[in-house]
Amino acid sequence: MISVKKVNNKPLNLLEKIYLWEIARGLSVTIRHFFANLFNPGNILTVPYPEKTIPLPGNARFRTRHRLKVRSDGSPKCVACFMCQTACPAYCIRIEAAEYTENTVEKYPAVFDIDLSRCVMCGMCVEACPEDAIAMDTEELTGGALNRGELLMTKDGLLRNLPGEPSRKGAANRLANEYLKSRGEE
Amino acid sequence: MMEFFEANKDILLFTGAAAVKALAFLGAVMGFTALMTLAERKVSALMQDRVGPNRASVFGFAFNGLFQPIADAIKMILKEDFVPGRAEKLLFTLAPFFALVPVLALFAVIPFGDYVMVYGYQLELQIADLPLGLFFVLALSGLAIYGVFLGGWASKNNFALLGGLRGAAQMVSYEVVLGLTLVGLMMIYGSASLQDMVRAQGRLLFGFIPAWGVVCQPFAFILFLIASTAENKRTPFDLVEGESEIIGYFMEYSSMRFAAFMFAEFIEIVLISMLIATLFFGGWQVPYLYETGFMFPGGAELPLNHYLVSAMQVGSFTVKTVFFCWFSLIVRWTLPRFRFDQMMSLCWKALLPLALLNILLTGAAMTFLGKL
Amino acid sequence: MPTLTIDGKPVEVEKGTSILEAAQKLGVYIPRYCYHPKLSVSGNCRMCLVEVEKAPKLLTACSTEAAEGMVVRTVSDKVKAARRDVLEYLLINHPLDCPICDQAGECGLQNYYMDYSLAKSRFKNEDKVRRQKRRALGPHLVLDNERCILCTRCVRFCAEVTKTAELEVMGRGDHSHIDMKEGKALDNGYSLNIADICPVGAWTSRDFRFKQRVWFLKKTPTICLGCATGCLIEAHHNENTIYRTVPLPNPETNTWLCDHGRLAYKAVQGGDRLVKGVIKNGLIDFEPALREVAARIDEARGAGAVAVLGSPWLSIEDNAALARLAKDALKTENYCFDFASEQGIKDGILINKDPSPNANGLRLVKDAHGGISQAELSSRIAAGQIKVVLAEARAAGLIKDALKAAGTRLIVFAANKGEIPAATYATLPYASYFETPGTFVNYQGLRRRTTPPAEAPEGVKPLWAVVNKLAAYSGSSLRLDSAEDALKGIDLK
Repeated sequence: MISVKKVNNKPLNLLEKIYLWEIARGLSVTIRHFFANLFNPGNILTVPYPEKTIPLPGNARFRTRHRLKVRSDGSPKCVACFMCQTACPAYCIRIEAAEYTENTVEKYPAVFDIDLSRCVMCGMCVEACPEDAIAMDTEELTGGALNRGELLMTKDGLLRNLPGEPSRKGAANRLANEYLKSRGEE
Repeated sequence: MMEFFEANKDILLFTGAAAVKALAFLGAVMGFTALMTLAERKVSALMQDRVGPNRASVFGFAFNGLFQPIADAIKMILKEDFVPGRAEKLLFTLAPFFALVPVLALFAVIPFGDYVMVYGYQLELQIADLPLGLFFVLALSGLAIYGVFLGGWASKNNFALLGGLRGAAQMVSYEVVLGLTLVGLMMIYGSASLQDMVRAQGRLLFGFIPAWGVVCQPFAFILFLIASTAENKRTPFDLVEGESEIIGYFMEYSSMRFAAFMFAEFIEIVLISMLIATLFFGGWQVPYLYETGFMFPGGAELPLNHYLVSAMQVGSFTVKTVFFCWFSLIVRWTLPRFRFDQMMSLCWKALLPLALLNILLTGAAMTFLGKL
Repeated sequence: MPTLTIDGKPVEVEKGTSILEAAQKLGVYIPRYCYHPKLSVSGNCRMCLVEVEKAPKLLTACSTEAAEGMVVRTVSDKVKAARRDVLEYLLINHPLDCPICDQAGECGLQNYYMDYSLAKSRFKNEDKVRRQKRRALGPHLVLDNERCILCTRCVRFCAEVTKTAELEVMGRGDHSHIDMKEGKALDNGYSLNIADICPVGAWTSRDFRFKQRVWFLKKTPTICLGCATGCLIEAHHNENTIYRTVPLPNPETNTWLCDHGRLAYKAVQGGDRLVKGVIKNGLIDFEPALREVAARIDEARGAGAVAVLGSPWLSIEDNAALARLAKDALKTENYCFDFASEQGIKDGILINKDPSPNANGLRLVKDAHGGISQAELSSRIAAGQIKVVLAEARAAGLIKDALKAAGTRLIVFAANKGEIPAATYATLPYASYFETPGTFVNYQGLRRRTTPPAEAPEGVKPLWAVVNKLAAYSGSSLRLDSAEDALKGIDLK
């Protein structure tokens, strides 16, 4: 059964039926914009990304480029549990795990790549992380690059702390925290 | 050899001059058209508070996108030249030429200036002054329909065929209006030669108003503007392409074949702007400027060099052309598309009667007021 | 034959059956940690508590014998509460380092918590008892005592299955933990089974450690080719890489799997794998190597000086293809599929006296295609009648003395570089049975077929396909388009 909706359009008056006056009104709007922008390009809102970016508003809760948090001894908080790789709907995360010889927490990512050209910025990796090790709060909007290679983030590029860190949350990080305490690095 | 040259001096000079003019004029038009493809995007961008293309650069110099047409051309050439398996190969190949050639040929009759004296030889600033130039215009623009229709039909694609059908119907319909609006002009200026019509527009009405077509035939101007936009298949009459619904007659075209269609459309914008300038805005005429210099209505005079006068006339024509090109772009990015039935009833039920009425009124006015 | 009622459904079981097994017969699953069908009943984890009418307390289903007229309830509120409490108890000191634990994804604690508990712990994270983590025990295992729930499956496995009894629960009460007895080493040849039976992440395999998360693994059932026992195994693999193999318990052959067989998959991938042909000692592409081999065979063929040797390490299909090559393409009598060897379980658990998996299958090939005996072949080689011998690498090792004495040119098929015997003239690679299907007959006469979990490296073909090509180079067609084509004429019974 097709539902029918009756639209009561206002009938056109004579001036509108002739079109010409209305067209002229429309043209006046566009022409006004044209000349305003021609002589005063500063008013154009377009930002020449990626060369220039605008600071995000302070209350913005955007998901921006990923980062890997760092412990106080400089090791990544990530323990290569693969939860982010499992949760990632875009298959853009690649991890290879390796083993510390002396650290209590045993496991760390030898390779941690995020292919930003594939990433859909959904934030599932952040949700999935049990160690509070990955975050999307660098306030860097990604996606602009002149070749694909620039969009492949490796572990070195991802490791970064923000002021007020390292945080000590996360299940396996309990072990790491104890280890750091035993070495007097807390 | 010399005897042959002496004997055929006039013809040789005429042919040589025509060739030089054709090359220079068409070269200028082509260059300008390339810029139009950029202008289309730049103008629309500015109207919509955007920047438009500004990335194409040579050695890091972008000049705000000036190299974009070159980049586009390179891209177009490098694209795969694809012919659908079931297409009519011959017609599919011919269609872009049918679209492009008539439009280019039309520039022959556009006068872009009065004349210049070169070594005592009077060089007309028009490639060919046909006595029936206006009919030549109508005839060749009728030929351009073939490009659209053959392209749509030879593709063997439903949507392309639909676009081609729409294009044929639309262009044939508006061709009629286009022709009829020009009848009034021919009546007033008493000639079908475009150069004669431009020269006639140099006269003054009541001693101070230039006798431009838009003054004598304001009604015809509006009708011509509408009909020519439709003839050019541009918004609001772009149902032939209808990007959002049927893509259009060039759906199966790629690479330079598609570029030919697109280029033809932009050349047509230039052509129509030139025609409007020529027919309704005095062509190369500058108000009160005559062969010897300015002669203002109050009696003041300003004698000028002949070459300066010619330069000002060509400049005047250029400025008018550029203005109408710009206006065409503005209209393109302001108005939404008509529905097909709306467009057809606009043509046959509104524009055609009005064009006929215009002829009637012109005839009546000439009977009562006398010839111009 | 007592008849009891479990969750309202009557079931008749044999005398001596436990409630847990009776429930299993009905399809009622009772959670368990310490119970294992092939180990003695311990009854220490308390996870299998069920309510039995007229019993004052909940009873452990694994250690309570089913009796006539018993009425058992496995899903009553009391049972549910008991399970929740047992889990809370087991998790008090569990370190919750699932992110770094290899067991995560197949962990009894994780699964039962989701199924039966979902309760928040009432104990503070900081008060957990700390024990030694990450301790390498034996050649294959890592022990993490913090994760252990003391189900003693590992202790019982070592005591009852391998009878080596290396492990014991040390200390009492809060201090109890699994440890190795003094003077012992956990190298009993079956130690990796401990990682399998451990319901939590206390025992993990060093081989599999941190290689892959278990939820990424796809499972393909196939057979182990480590010896003539022919155990059923399950290969766990992802994206064409095999990460581990585990036993597929079955009544005919195996519940467990020996360490040797379990790690046999490693030969298929890694640096030792042969993916190109070898002429003398130089690697060369497969096609030129094949042409060279064909040329050498053609040289010797005219004088009838080519011999083909089958192999008990190859499937019936590939052996049959070799027999067809000798009989139909090379038209020689010098081919041998005679490999008699003593068979039978060597150590009382799984490992067979015969290290080759297919000696019985070879008998079928011999019945169908005939051939000379191994002694006859050796004597012909020693007599200098044979100029070129075509054989599988490990089988060639059996006649290497004769070959060496006569200086015969040896051409072998090998999957690994390590298998190639010394002084081999040419080697051709073939797809191993983790990469192509093959039929094998174990020491009991059970015919089993491998299912390939991975694909062969690029350019490496199954042996029957290599043989087919070799025959084509020698000027005759064997018409082998699939492994099944090679089986024609063989009575598989």
